Amino acid sequence: MLRNRRKDALVAAVLVAPFLAIYLLVFVWPTIQMFGISFTDARLIGSGEWVGLDNYTRLASDPRFKTAVWNTAYFVLLTVLPGTVIALLIALGVSRLTGRLQAAILALFFLPYILPVSVVYLIWDWVLNFQFGILMHVFDLLGLDRIPITKSRTWFMPAVGIVTIWWTAGFSILLFLAGLRSIPAEIYEAAALDNASRWTTFRRITWPLLWPVTTLVFTIQLIAQLKIFDQVYLFSQGGRPNDNMVLVYYVFQRAFQQDQGGRAAAVAVTLFVLVIVVSVLQFQLLRLAGGRK
Amino acid sequence: MARIQLHDVRKSYAGQEVIHGVTMDIADGEFVVIVGPSGCGKSTLLRMVAGLEEITSGQVSIGDRVVNDLEPRERNIAMVFQNYALYPHMTVRENMAYGLKIAGMSRPEIEAAVARAAAMLELEPYLDRKPRQLSGGQRQRVAMGRALVREPAALLLDEPLSNLDAKLRVQMRLQIRDLQQRTAQTTLYVTHDQVEAMTLADRLIVMEKGLAQQIATPHEVYTAPATEFVAGFIGSPAMNIFTVTCDDSGLLLPGGHRMPVPGLAARGEVRLGLRPEDICLVEDDSPAFPVLLRSIEWLGADAFGYGVIEGSDVQLTLRMSGQTSVARGDRLRVGLPADRLHFFSTVDGHRL
Repeated sequence: MLRNRRKDALVAAVLVAPFLAIYLLVFVWPTIQMFGISFTDARLIGSGEWVGLDNYTRLASDPRFKTAVWNTAYFVLLTVLPGTVIALLIALGVSRLTGRLQAAILALFFLPYILPVSVVYLIWDWVLNFQFGILMHVFDLLGLDRIPITKSRTWFMPAVGIVTIWWTAGFSILLFLAGLRSIPAEIYEAAALDNASRWTTFRRITWPLLWPVTTLVFTIQLIAQLKIFDQVYLFSQGGRPNDNMVLVYYVFQRAFQQDQGGRAAAVAVTLFVLVIVVSVLQFQLLRLAGGRK
Repeated sequence: MARIQLHDVRKSYAGQEVIHGVTMDIADGEFVVIVGPSGCGKSTLLRMVAGLEEITSGQVSIGDRVVNDLEPRERNIAMVFQNYALYPHMTVRENMAYGLKIAGMSRPEIEAAVARAAAMLELEPYLDRKPRQLSGGQRQRVAMGRALVREPAALLLDEPLSNLDAKLRVQMRLQIRDLQQRTAQTTLYVTHDQVEAMTLADRLIVMEKGLAQQIATPHEVYTAPATEFVAGFIGSPAMNIFTVTCDDSGLLLPGGHRMPVPGLAARGEVRLGLRPEDICLVEDDSPAFPVLLRSIEWLGADAFGYGVIEGSDVQLTLRMSGQTSVARGDRLRVGLPADRLHFFSTVDGHRL
């Protein structure tokens, strides 16, 4: 079929234009602005004086920024790898079910993912609350001392980590299941005839063939958890936000609570660079590891 | 290497029986082909031997062991799948070595076995490639190699050539036959292609609707089909089969033509089978019946004539020499070779 290339290009441009305009307006332009503001002493609204790298150099000696970096790193450690492993285990389990039972169980695991974070917070507050939480009743029954989990420096991050895994695992499970389903049944039959035990089959067939999905899940998790905010914000209510500080929370605090747009922008830029570097690095590393197999 | 015995093997899915009792003894080193139309249960039967499908009742033995309750891996068999089922993340070498490695064979032994199989299948240049870098025919050979390298008690092949183009299929067919004869490997081969079945098999199992209609050598299946189904399924073009009436003097054909056939045992209405090549044109005044030629296909060495018996709508296929001078629209005089007639019961289709 003969086609008018110029006309095709025009149609394509017209179709892409609305998205492109909005994307440029509400993402690219503010991002550029943010980079600019991070070199000024601007407040939340309006522009400010040029201060060069001041906002960045101050971060180095800022204790709250340090807390935020460590807490974010700690949170990533608590959630990304365990979350990926748990999702894989659940997906392997669900994939062995069939028919409606599989659909029902999958739905149960996916259900938390569709909840808004405020509902997640309420559900888990109902579990963890020092005075009324059902977990505390369990502690009482077992003769353990009650722990003010969301008010404790030791328990806050692990608790939020568990809540986050519970909340977001559904999506990872779905990705793993899609990956598992794309492995043809005949390959497993061939493996069964090749004398492979279940564990060998997993290690030598399923795991390597699932590696691209694992890499994807891991990367998505990593990016999402580096940007942790909502859960920490909600669970810190009436608690100790400065001890539970994470990077996005710190941006929020600088910008909206302390009216320091410039300093907030500097933190945001730092996080932006961090997310890009870490995720690109780990994606490449995981891919290389997969290639060697 | 071992013999395989099936005794009254049956398979049901949710109370619905799909294999109605197959009994067969496959000798050590024998090449047996299960052939039949799609949905006849041939793959299911093979998968029951492999252990990929449960056996509802009956008994399967490989060697001297009853394997009914053994896992596939405990049966010491190898299988070639229709889609090859190669491990996509392993090289050709790793694909072939995988089973041996799991079996705990030493590295030098594995390398020797893989090298032997690769040489036999001309796969040496491709040993370090991944399956996706290979053509269909090469993948098929890797699948064969992976199966043969283990020197299993029995080799099972499930439509292994159906994904190849026609020319490659012929090549691989010859290669498989050659390999089987060299290795004397007990082989069970499933296909819907009657040419593959006829050329490869020492013996055939012709299946239809979950029943083994005939278990015999290709020659026997062709010359003495056990049922009307087998008669119609094996042979190309298909056998002409139509209803005739037998009496003391001979046959009454459709269209009211009477043909004297001496010494007929059958009486009354029977199904008459006639291979297209057994129908002869009659030049002299020996007994014959008229056939109107509707069309003719010339294939070089052969010509196929398609006609109807005059006075009826029974169609008849004739195989003639490529040199024939008959043409469309001719009225042919056709004779029946008394020793090449096949009679089947109108009731159950069995050979009379």
